[in-house]
Amino acid sequence: MPNDVIIETRNLTKVYRDFWGRQKVRALKALDLEVRRGEVFGLLGPNGSGKTTTIKLLLGLLFPTSGEVLVFDKEATDTVKNERIGYLPEESYLYKFLTAEETLDFYGRLFKMSRKVRRQRTSELIELVGLTAAKRRQLREYSKGMTRRIGLAQALINDPELIVLDEPTTGLDPLGTRDMKRMILELRDQGKTVVMCSHQLDDVQDVCDRIAILYEGELKELGRVDELLKIGDVTEIHAKGLSPAAQEQIQKLIEQDGGETLSMGNPTTTLERLFLDIIQESQAHPGRRVRGGRNE
Amino acid sequence: MVVETQILSFSEWFWPALAIFGGVLGVLLILVAFTGLVSGIVRLGPARGMRHFFRAIGTGFVDLLLMSPRRIFALTWLSIKDAFRRRIVIVFAVFILMISFAGWFLDPGNDHPLRLYITFVMTATNFLVLLLVLFLSVFSLPTDLKNKTLHTVVTKPVRASEIVLGRILGFSAIGTIFLVAMGLVCYLFVTRGLIHTHEVDVATLEVLADAEPDAAGAAPVKGKSTQNSRHRHDLIVDAAGKGRLEVNKDHWHPLIRVGGDGKKASDYKIGSPEGMLIARVPVYGKLRFYDRERNEKEKGVNVGDEWTYRSYIEGDSLAAAVWTFDGVTPQNFPKQLPVEMTLGIFRTHKGDIETGVAGNLLVRNPKTGLTVERPVFISKEFVTDTQIVPRKITPVNVFYLRNKKTENGESKMVREEAEPQTANRPEFDLFDDLSDNGTVEIWLQCLDTAQFFGVAQADLYLKAKDAPFTPNFIKGYFGLWMQMVLVVGFGVMFSTFLSGPVAGIATLGFLVMGLSRSFVIDLATGQTWGGGPVESFIRILTQQNVVTEMEEGFRTTVAKTADGILMFFLRAMSHVLPDLRQFSASDYVAYGFNISGNWITERGLTTLSFVVVLFVMGYFFLKSREVAK
Repeated sequence: MPNDVIIETRNLTKVYRDFWGRQKVRALKALDLEVRRGEVFGLLGPNGSGKTTTIKLLLGLLFPTSGEVLVFDKEATDTVKNERIGYLPEESYLYKFLTAEETLDFYGRLFKMSRKVRRQRTSELIELVGLTAAKRRQLREYSKGMTRRIGLAQALINDPELIVLDEPTTGLDPLGTRDMKRMILELRDQGKTVVMCSHQLDDVQDVCDRIAILYEGELKELGRVDELLKIGDVTEIHAKGLSPAAQEQIQKLIEQDGGETLSMGNPTTTLERLFLDIIQESQAHPGRRVRGGRNE
Repeated sequence: MVVETQILSFSEWFWPALAIFGGVLGVLLILVAFTGLVSGIVRLGPARGMRHFFRAIGTGFVDLLLMSPRRIFALTWLSIKDAFRRRIVIVFAVFILMISFAGWFLDPGNDHPLRLYITFVMTATNFLVLLLVLFLSVFSLPTDLKNKTLHTVVTKPVRASEIVLGRILGFSAIGTIFLVAMGLVCYLFVTRGLIHTHEVDVATLEVLADAEPDAAGAAPVKGKSTQNSRHRHDLIVDAAGKGRLEVNKDHWHPLIRVGGDGKKASDYKIGSPEGMLIARVPVYGKLRFYDRERNEKEKGVNVGDEWTYRSYIEGDSLAAAVWTFDGVTPQNFPKQLPVEMTLGIFRTHKGDIETGVAGNLLVRNPKTGLTVERPVFISKEFVTDTQIVPRKITPVNVFYLRNKKTENGESKMVREEAEPQTANRPEFDLFDDLSDNGTVEIWLQCLDTAQFFGVAQADLYLKAKDAPFTPNFIKGYFGLWMQMVLVVGFGVMFSTFLSGPVAGIATLGFLVMGLSRSFVIDLATGQTWGGGPVESFIRILTQQNVVTEMEEGFRTTVAKTADGILMFFLRAMSHVLPDLRQFSASDYVAYGFNISGNWITERGLTTLSFVVVLFVMGYFFLKSREVAK
């Protein structure tokens, strides 16, 4: 695994079975994926597409049926790798009888952190997620947004290199969503790697460098967000200073009127459009991998 | 009698116990390894399955050896916090309620009030704490899995071993807190409940018959105390004004005349009860038997008891039960040798049922064979009697008992008369004449024709001293603590792979089987009436007598085959189940016997062994399961 690759899955497959060992569902089919250091990587897909299964396999919460997953060059079930990982689950699965301070102190104790460092880190994180006023309240009294924020704080308690976020903006109001996205970008700027899965396509579009789109356990699309959203067969011209008459015959008049061409290139679609197109394509042609973006 | 199991020294117990532990552990490990390997090969194919298996073993060693105390402590703290969040203090409130009303129902007028009180408080504490830790330990991990709170823990650098150990320690700590709190309440309840005093009932005072008044005109008097705590005592006061309330309900009171003419109750001061809150320290000896011709035997006579714990010696014969005691030195027994015994009696004819059966003791030097005979005593069945062997013994009879080999190689004890200078000595010194470097033999003989004394090793002992009650009470609670830790171990282990309710039933099953292990062994080995579980069920349904044979046929064959399989598993289970009753020391406390260091050490090591095995099992179960679904 090259040094800049933090997560690598090889032919990763997960089959859920019932008590008698009969196959219930094939949640993930031969997934090959790489996540590189310092990027924000998004996993997209409709419900049941295998996003959360992939994350659980990365974290060692599930065991692969076949294939393998390496995180920091170690097997996902190796607990040592968790020293460098922070995880925010889909719901903040925290102990409701603890206060915010106790929660962060408890998770801090699970790392090699001295009491002094734990206290300092707890204080910083509580301030970062804006829970200073509520730090001594039990989590059972928290709103969903507050619970998500303390969840993020516990994920960052060890100052991790890799942060795994499962639906990070779920349950947050617009302001909270904006803050969460800002924090994700700040983490990336600090050189950290973020892997997130989300249903909120605009959020993913805003923060992710690369995305993978899954459908029924199969990888349908993988690449940089800006490249995937590019429309290849359409040219887009941005211009200014044109007279109203010249607008009707824009191509000819730009030069005749001495106008200045500012840019010329391909327009982009929205991630939502791309996502829906891939899903429709996958439904029409099951099993076919869609590569290289739309309308190439 | 409280001690009805074989008393072994630590070295006698340890090596065989270690061998059994090693054997059972070895078989378990082989079974687990085989199952793991086969399931790996079936699930993942031969190459990957074997690789997976050996990697799991390697990881297991690392996870078990490289645990972090800091993380274990954090998880322990979390378990404690979680438990208190579940409002477990309600259990303590229930306990206080029980204790508050117990005084209404516990009769201080009982013949053995300490036994009654101790049995009640320790049983109540035991069951409440066991049920509390059972429910806590079996539901904690499944609840964490269900609520997915475990996801945020296992995605930290936490080993499965730390999760299991953290929980075992956490719930054990909770059990300990409860046992300490309940123990304190119980101690106060027992001591305060039993402490009482009386006054002299002056109307009953009378001068002792044949007593002569002293120079000041005072004479010894006898009488009765007032009725308090539903009993009264006979009392005796000597001419000097010192006396005591005689033993009743297992205790007596010191009494002293403090002034006046002794005609008023206020002229006497009566102290607190004594002899009740004590812990006798017995020194046990090694027991051997001689038959009616004084041939040495391993056991005495079997009088037909199904329970072969006690062996019997025949009356009016040369049969004897002989205890060899070590450590009989002036340092350990400076004044005298108190021999305390509780004997079983088997009568071939009724005789005088009131007067008991006559017996006597011989004290023998095992080296020289010099033997002195002590006076006759009368023993009543299972009534504790103390015979004092003074340091300077005036013998009833003196002779030698010497060991001879018979023609068939057996050992026989032969009586030889003592030479005149020995026979005519007025007294013998216990340590100089009858002890061989601290080793003394005490011989018990039954003197009544056709009556038998039934004895086991623990039935006759030297009473070294009376230890204080409080440490013994604490040691009794240590027995409960060990039971509690075992229940926690089983509960946590089951909860690593079963859902909460199923783990609860499994642990409860272990608890019931552990408390009735001897019955389980009898059932597993076919020694109970009515066959195995299936056969017994059919007999219940068809209302069939347990002693008649089942009718031959298909149904009986099926039932007996099913029983055979079930009994095989029961037999296997009986080898790995701890005998929980062996961990209960409440009888020792209730009957006023000191709990020995050996008892504590042996049970403590047994508990530790079980908990270590349960911890390792719990670790492998948790490690091999997927935390998420």
